[in-house]
Amino acid sequence: MSLIKDFFLGFKEGFMDFGHDVSVIINSLLLSIVYFVGVGLTSIFAKVFKKHFLDLKVNKKKKSYWNDLDLKEKDIEKYYRTF
Amino acid sequence: MYVLGMSCYYHDSSAALLKDGVIVAAAEEERFTRKKHDNSFPINAIEYCLKDQKISVNKVDYIGFYEKPMLKFERMISSHLEMFPKSFKAFLSFMPSWMNEKLRITSVIRKKLKYKGDVLFIEHHLAHAASTFLVSPFEKAAILTVDGVGEWTTTAYGVGENNKIHLFKEIRFPHSIGLLYSTITAYLGMSVNNSEYRVMGLSAYGDMNKKTNPYYKKLRKVIDIKSDGSYRFDMSYFKYHYSDRMPSKKLCDLLGGPITKKGSEMT
Repeated sequence: MSLIKDFFLGFKEGFMDFGHDVSVIINSLLLSIVYFVGVGLTSIFAKVFKKHFLDLKVNKKKKSYWNDLDLKEKDIEKYYRTF
Repeated sequence: MYVLGMSCYYHDSSAALLKDGVIVAAAEEERFTRKKHDNSFPINAIEYCLKDQKISVNKVDYIGFYEKPMLKFERMISSHLEMFPKSFKAFLSFMPSWMNEKLRITSVIRKKLKYKGDVLFIEHHLAHAASTFLVSPFEKAAILTVDGVGEWTTTAYGVGENNKIHLFKEIRFPHSIGLLYSTITAYLGMSVNNSEYRVMGLSAYGDMNKKTNPYYKKLRKVIDIKSDGSYRFDMSYFKYHYSDRMPSKKLCDLLGGPITKKGSEMT
């Protein structure tokens, strides 16, 4: 009886691992498509139109790198937002 | 009034419970799971806090989360857009956890805790500022927060007065003193978000003289510091904005060799 139980438990674990591996492969495949089509095309268009998403340049002539920020207590409704 | 503060899914998940504005219980998840820097949902830490006050989770008026997840996600997507196609590997590794947990954090909190109340999201650097100023003995103080990165902010300053905080200047990602610290930690073959304290300890053995310390001149090429203390990096020395490796080959060449192997002897 315990042999049968062990067999099915092992079988179940094997299938779980197999399912996990399949999901990793499918996720990677779908994410690769999203990356090269979605991110890639947007990035290429942005580069053509000289739009930058990160400010990477060092500017020796600039007097300061501080950016304005206005972070203080707001109405509680604004804290419900995740953005 | 009870407020439960929590953080998770980055490093060192934790929870703190406030009763009428006073911290009455706090714990890190790693203390219960015995996994160092455990970043999983802090269910044990939360249960500990609630048990300490002998209350159920639905007695909590608000749950406060330590950052604004969508703003952080925007920053990560912006990095991938800017650094395409170099960021491919990092994109594959970071997206699943964002899709499964981080972007659905409100429903994850409600489901895991069976909580029906309100969940609030506080900007990361405001949370840092509050965690020091509001428990300090000062009625009024200048506040400086220097972190790896929050949503976009890496360094910020402002003023705290009574129970109000106003941060009014910031340095934005990818320029970050905290991430420079982590990059040097990684370069020395030590683990990021863990061994920075070792680098701090090692600094006592360093040469503090700017004229004789060869690394001072080298690192001045990496960072441009203005007279008001603001700074920006030459990002060609770094990879952390598009990879899970932090120093670039250019930084390794500047510092005189490849990344130190983990566990090798320090000279």
